[in-house]
Amino acid sequence: MSDFGFHLAFWALAAMTLGGASMILISRNLIHAVIWLVMSMLGIAGLYLTLSADFIAVVQVLIYVGAISVLMLFAIMLTPRAERDNSQTKISAPAGLVVLLVMIATMWVAVDTDWGPVRDGALTEQARLIGESLIKHYILPFEIGAVLLTAALVGAIALARQDEEDGPVHAASLQAELDGETSIDPADVIDPPLASEPSDGGTTS
Amino acid sequence: MTIGLEHYLALGALLFCIGFFIALSKKNAVGVLIGVELMLNAVNLTLVAFSRFGSAEVALSTQVFVVFIIAVAAAEVAVGLALALVVYRNRQTISVDRTTLLKG
Repeated sequence: MSDFGFHLAFWALAAMTLGGASMILISRNLIHAVIWLVMSMLGIAGLYLTLSADFIAVVQVLIYVGAISVLMLFAIMLTPRAERDNSQTKISAPAGLVVLLVMIATMWVAVDTDWGPVRDGALTEQARLIGESLIKHYILPFEIGAVLLTAALVGAIALARQDEEDGPVHAASLQAELDGETSIDPADVIDPPLASEPSDGGTTS
Repeated sequence: MTIGLEHYLALGALLFCIGFFIALSKKNAVGVLIGVELMLNAVNLTLVAFSRFGSAEVALSTQVFVVFIIAVAAAEVAVGLALALVVYRNRQTISVDRTTLLKG
């Protein structure tokens, strides 16, 4: 009975994961694609649970389902004039061929290789074990990961900061202060090339 | 028939290939990032399967590796989406077919 439940859980979660991933491929709307990504990630979290990796499952739900999907929805909604459609590029036919070759190779390796003696044991107290090995054995990668996350978040904020309206004006007024002028007309310093540049098909307004 | 290591490895391989195809073929930059995330998740699934079914000495190190991969993926998606926003601000599009400024 328990074996039947495990089978049912594995096949249902596998169908959920692969179905969500396939729906990303065929859904026409980008926001729907992100919602299907959330479903696929939830399926993977359930598969971690069937593998007795409870800590990883919780981290998966927190980071992928909670944070990354919301970040992607923000990015889609902050680009309102970009295309919403989720269509394929012209290279999708050769890309499909390459992917088919990769799929055949990886499936063949996964099924055909002798993976040695199969152990069927799960770790207990995973959070404690992972935490201890992070600060004992993997302390240098842990610190490097911390620096990487800090640098990436500072870089993301610096890139995404909205300063195009007041940026040139602010720089120009600073320059004017340095030059001894008292006031400057904002209309003179906003440089027009970005607005007048033809964006080859993009919707400019 | 019991569910063993090969089932999870095959599932991870299939998921990796779907993510690979999405990353190669989507027009929208956010779609490409979704494909990359799927590929990283497939690799994580494979690692956790080895943690459960592989030899005992890799049971812990694979899970630590998964934690590192998730951290790097979070950093990657944050920077990637910020780059998409900057491209949108300058070009009014995030389609990878239309950002052809370097094409000459």
